[in-house]
Amino acid sequence: MMHLLKIEWLKYKKYTAFKVLSLFFIIGIFATNYIVYSVKKNIINDIDTQGLISFSPYSFANTWQTTSYVSGFILLLPGLLLIMLFTNEYTFKTHRQNIIDGLSRHEFINVKIMLALIFALVSSVFVFFSASVFGFASGTDFSLNGIEYVGYFFLKALSYNMIAVLFSVLLKRTGFATGLFFIYLGAENLLSQYLVFLSMKLRVNYDMDAGNLGDYLPMNAADGLLTFPKNMVTSMAKSILPTDFTWVVIAFAVSYLILFYWWSKRKFVNSDL
Amino acid sequence: MSILSIENLSKQYGPVRALKSVSFTVPKGTVFGILGPNGSGKTTLLGIVTDILKASSGQYKWHGDLDMADQRKKIGTLLETPNFYHYLSAIDNLKIAAEIKQRGKDDIRKVLELVNLWQRKDSKFSTYSLGMKQRLAIASTLLGDPDILVFDEPTNGLDPAGIAEIRELMKKLHQQGKTIIMASHILDEVEKVCTHVAIIQKGDLKTVGTVKDIMSSPGGKTTTAVLIEIASDNNILLQQTVQQISGIVNIELSGDELHITCSESISAAQINRFCFDKEIVLTKLNVKRKSLETTFLEITGNQSDK
Repeated sequence: MMHLLKIEWLKYKKYTAFKVLSLFFIIGIFATNYIVYSVKKNIINDIDTQGLISFSPYSFANTWQTTSYVSGFILLLPGLLLIMLFTNEYTFKTHRQNIIDGLSRHEFINVKIMLALIFALVSSVFVFFSASVFGFASGTDFSLNGIEYVGYFFLKALSYNMIAVLFSVLLKRTGFATGLFFIYLGAENLLSQYLVFLSMKLRVNYDMDAGNLGDYLPMNAADGLLTFPKNMVTSMAKSILPTDFTWVVIAFAVSYLILFYWWSKRKFVNSDL
Repeated sequence: MSILSIENLSKQYGPVRALKSVSFTVPKGTVFGILGPNGSGKTTLLGIVTDILKASSGQYKWHGDLDMADQRKKIGTLLETPNFYHYLSAIDNLKIAAEIKQRGKDDIRKVLELVNLWQRKDSKFSTYSLGMKQRLAIASTLLGDPDILVFDEPTNGLDPAGIAEIRELMKKLHQQGKTIIMASHILDEVEKVCTHVAIIQKGDLKTVGTVKDIMSSPGGKTTTAVLIEIASDNNILLQQTVQQISGIVNIELSGDELHITCSESISAAQINRFCFDKEIVLTKLNVKRKSLETTFLEITGNQSDK
């Protein structure tokens, strides 16, 4: 695998878009969290002089959940980057040349999936660091309580990256794959909004609580695990909101990942290149 | 020993049958030409044996083994178009190829010099002309000094000097004992470079054998004819004169010259002397053996596939 990763590194190390998007993403994680952090610190605290909102999103252990949730919004970037890197191969027909030169089809697709995994891991490491930084900046003591949210972030990142790989294999063209990536995410989001209301209706009117149905969709599964830390508003709404069946949602997220993995591999290994 | 054996290879693209049960073997040390008009299935055939395309049925073996990626590492292949990363330089592109092949990293300078690209080694691939791209692709096939080379239309996009260089290179590689498989629609190229030829048309293998055998017996017929082109100041008179030579099969006036088809027993010197004795001075005398082109047209019929 190191041999394969070295080949990938030779392909990307001088690719400007790779460097720029990676940098944007890393800066983005810190920047978006900093915005939320400073809004709370400088604006909300100024208005709320009596300390009515005692809730502090970036204190340990809240910081794991807040940072993971906030950083989740810029996961589009590594997904887009993966689509670019993969569909470039189709554009340049280098996917053919790599095979001609002696890679097996399995090796070619495996290393792309490995990239999806590495991107998700690296993103999670950066989330871990920024969560720690903002935790300490809030003047609280380090605690690993709630660290599972970084794990959920990893799941979400991997889901985004794997669907990016799948769309690249299926559509081959940068424009089409990118377009579908955005349209799909948007459409699934709309559908999940509808399903949230449906779930609430079911609970209130029929006393059926199957959890938030929206969370069982491919991209929303990992997403549903990441929410803003519970505060007064969500506590009050608890009686009408469906229950979070965390393990069921994780099971769905993992199943979708397996589906993306299997589908991308099957498509690349069996079709004409 | 055979380098590549192909058994009943077929390929179907929807309703189109691009290859129809093609079988042949490529002996070691030959320059094996795959000849056919555009769209005849040459690239499809080479695509299958390099694992780019999946055969609908049939199989192929390199060195008697079924396909393995490791075998391809020892084959230098140029298929259809030069495929490189546009944003990388020649040298960075070749580093990737060498890393995939796990051989030839030290050959990069040598192969770039061989195709006259060393001066431009640091330019991005996207800035190259068509001919330069083609030469880079040929350079890439030579990395690691492979014993087998597969070229699909290798002189595509090259200028006349480039074409001559590549042909010389192929002859040199052949002399070094390497096996070369080359697809081409240019008859002249196959005739000049190849030892063996397979002619395919619309996915059908029409004939296969040594170039010499095929040229002397197209489709089983044995005709060893010689084509001689002559011209003089008065071609009408010349035609009447030449008709008197025995052994002439056919005379045809073509433009401002005569094309004479005759048996091999007649030499150019004989014709020249005969005409000179009749006080006709030839302004042109050009002997052509029966070319692969005539054979090719006899086999495939005088039409393009489309």
